[in-house]
Amino acid sequence: MFKRLILEDSATLYVIFAFVTAATIFITITWRALRMPRAQVERFAQLPFTKDSSDRHHDV
Amino acid sequence: MPAQKITIEYNDRVVRQFLLASVFWGAVGMLVGLLVASQLNFWQLNFHTAWLTFGRLRPLHTNAVIFAFVGNMMFAGIYYSTQRLVKARLASDFLSSLHFWGWQLIIVAAAITLPLGYTRGKEYAELIWPINLAVAFIWVVFAVNFFWTLARRRERALYVAIWFYIATIVTVAMLYIVNHLSIPTGLLHSYPVFSGVQDALVQWWYGHNAVAFFLTTPILGIMYYFLPKAAERPIYSYRLSVVHFWSLVFVYIWAGPHHLLNTTLPSWLQNLGTTFSLMLWAPSWGGMLNGLLTLRGAWDKLRTDPVLKFFAAGITFYGMATFEGPLLSIRSVNALAHYSDWIIGHVHAGTLGWNGFMAAGMIYWLLPRLWNRPLHSLGLANLHFWIGLVGILLYVSAMWTSGITQGLMLNATTEHGTVLAYPNFLDTLTTIRPMMLMRVIGGALYLIGWFLLVYNLYRTVRGASPVNGTIEVYDETPEPAPAESRLGLKGTLFNAPTVFAVLILVCATTWMLGPDLLSTAGLAGLIVCVILVYALIPTHSHLWNGWYEKLLLNALPFTLLTFFAVVAGGLIQIIPTVLVQKAQNVEDRIQIPYTPLELAGRDLYVREGCYNCHSQMIRTLVPDVLRYGDYSRLGESIYDHPFQWGSKRTGPDLARVGGKYPNIWHLRHMENPRSISPGSNMPTYPWLLTNSLDASVMPAKIKVQRMLGVPYGPLSAQQIFDTMDEQAKGIAKDLRAAGAYVAPDKEIVALIAYLQTLGKFVPVPPKTATP
Repeated sequence: MFKRLILEDSATLYVIFAFVTAATIFITITWRALRMPRAQVERFAQLPFTKDSSDRHHDV
Repeated sequence: MPAQKITIEYNDRVVRQFLLASVFWGAVGMLVGLLVASQLNFWQLNFHTAWLTFGRLRPLHTNAVIFAFVGNMMFAGIYYSTQRLVKARLASDFLSSLHFWGWQLIIVAAAITLPLGYTRGKEYAELIWPINLAVAFIWVVFAVNFFWTLARRRERALYVAIWFYIATIVTVAMLYIVNHLSIPTGLLHSYPVFSGVQDALVQWWYGHNAVAFFLTTPILGIMYYFLPKAAERPIYSYRLSVVHFWSLVFVYIWAGPHHLLNTTLPSWLQNLGTTFSLMLWAPSWGGMLNGLLTLRGAWDKLRTDPVLKFFAAGITFYGMATFEGPLLSIRSVNALAHYSDWIIGHVHAGTLGWNGFMAAGMIYWLLPRLWNRPLHSLGLANLHFWIGLVGILLYVSAMWTSGITQGLMLNATTEHGTVLAYPNFLDTLTTIRPMMLMRVIGGALYLIGWFLLVYNLYRTVRGASPVNGTIEVYDETPEPAPAESRLGLKGTLFNAPTVFAVLILVCATTWMLGPDLLSTAGLAGLIVCVILVYALIPTHSHLWNGWYEKLLLNALPFTLLTFFAVVAGGLIQIIPTVLVQKAQNVEDRIQIPYTPLELAGRDLYVREGCYNCHSQMIRTLVPDVLRYGDYSRLGESIYDHPFQWGSKRTGPDLARVGGKYPNIWHLRHMENPRSISPGSNMPTYPWLLTNSLDASVMPAKIKVQRMLGVPYGPLSAQQIFDTMDEQAKGIAKDLRAAGAYVAPDKEIVALIAYLQTLGKFVPVPPKTATP
């Protein structure tokens, strides 16, 4: 079953295929991230800034 | 009736507990690190005592800093930030306490068993099977507590830090379970189910991704929460953080084979490891730049704020280490660097610089908030930073210099590449000694910095009252999410993006692995799928985007798909290797199974942690072959549970040491290495000459080996004892003839039996090989 993968020189192709797959995912996610609405991006980015009582405690 | 405001009190008690534990275990782990580094310079520091030798303490150091220091720090950061990001108290106080105390018990158990020599013999996976079970259980407790908290959240959106935490939880569980699959031979010992090349691949799939998903992704989550808080400005680019997460999670898991370059690992796997390692440059540097650019407009604060100093330097070290990692994964660079101190320098740039400095920054930021009192001394914190930084730079530059020097010397040849320029291994050790000493100085400075943190912490919290954070929220039953934003199992799995992803993977796998006709069909299906995806983009992209948006609000579907992303990379590497690389398929050479006495000796080799300094893998490189003999074949370690290829050569490779020296040479060498090799830094092993071998456990061990596929015949317990006795008497007789009296039942005899069989094989005629 795995003869081709283990023994044949053409296995080099699969590394290239793996690279193309990962690169596609990378490009797709980048494209998706770039198209996120500005309001949504700003809302997400502000999530750590919800004030709680410990924020009133002494800063360093 | 309008909803009333209520106050939620966060469970910061467990955060304080984990924080204090991290500081304590950090000091312990680094202290042990300093000791083992000193032992390499001054062998006398092994104290001729079994439980204080380098081979047993080095695993204690690595386990302590990874699982005790960074582990506790990570849990503190995750629990503190998650509660605030989802506006909910941790789901269960009981589970939180169980998590904390369970984890500390595991650490104590490790600190006791490792020096006593109870080990599985695999790096960062040394803990014995009962502790493995405890780790798995406590990790499940952590996961339940975390996901239960997410289920009770008042903030529906999941901030990117939570994504990194989710990836950590699911991936570490998967890695840990697979790499620790073992069959016990007794209460304190087991053999891994994988052997030889399979075990090597699984181990470094785990080892590499332990770095990725235990030392990196949770700390990135912590960076994405604590850095904006400390800098008082949002992360530079949330968009970039999204790209950072998905690309890192998808790519990291594939890169493990780069730890096995130029070995007998099949070349397609080596190429895969290199390719994906090089691809890691992009997401890693994206994350680093995102962190550093968050400080835009706030750089002036670094002059006075130690927290930001630590964060900025920590992130810079992250960038440096993640630049160096892919560089080391290039085969020719790896030929120079592998097995040398360069790798030690690389690892410590990551752990001391990235993990240690991020931990320090987080701790200094949290102390005033958790104890409601200003930090005792800003000056001491700043001093800690500068001492620590100088310590790291000394350490890392010493190891780079040492590693490159050692690599160049070991690989140097003359006479047109036919003769080694430095045939004596000890020449290289002598040359790098000054750098090894500088490493100790660098490490000591870093530890002094840590003790400053301990003192600062003590003075800050002494007499202070612990305080739990609170937040006011409206007391309203959380409304069920609108139907249009929910994603059930069906919505998660049966939609165009998931279906196409699965189809493409299935077609690609069929193309790669199927017989001729099926392979062609797979390729055709792959092409059709890709064309279909592009054809549907103009009309369906809004639906696909909607699905992705929903994913960001639904924790469990998000977790499920993250798991699929990481599991794919593992399965594609491991399944072919486990199914094909078996003894019956081996060509060229096959290992001779160990006799019972040799197997007992091998277990002693594992117990003493010899793999920490000696490899058993002669690479397909001319200098390796000139120095150690013919390059190692895949079949020559096919019965090794666990594999012992090693990752560092403080001493020479031992793959073909069998028969190279007489028995008496090994005896004298173990008794006092310097009597045979002047200048050696190897510990002495006098107890091997006085301890009697426990032969009573061998029938159970042979039984498990047989279950694992090692071809032992149907030996009765008495036959096993008789075989051992006969072989031991032969070795003892030979030793006596050479002038040394050792009783046949002593451990040294078994160890000599093992060492003398290394490199023995049976040729496999090509006609009998199964392709």
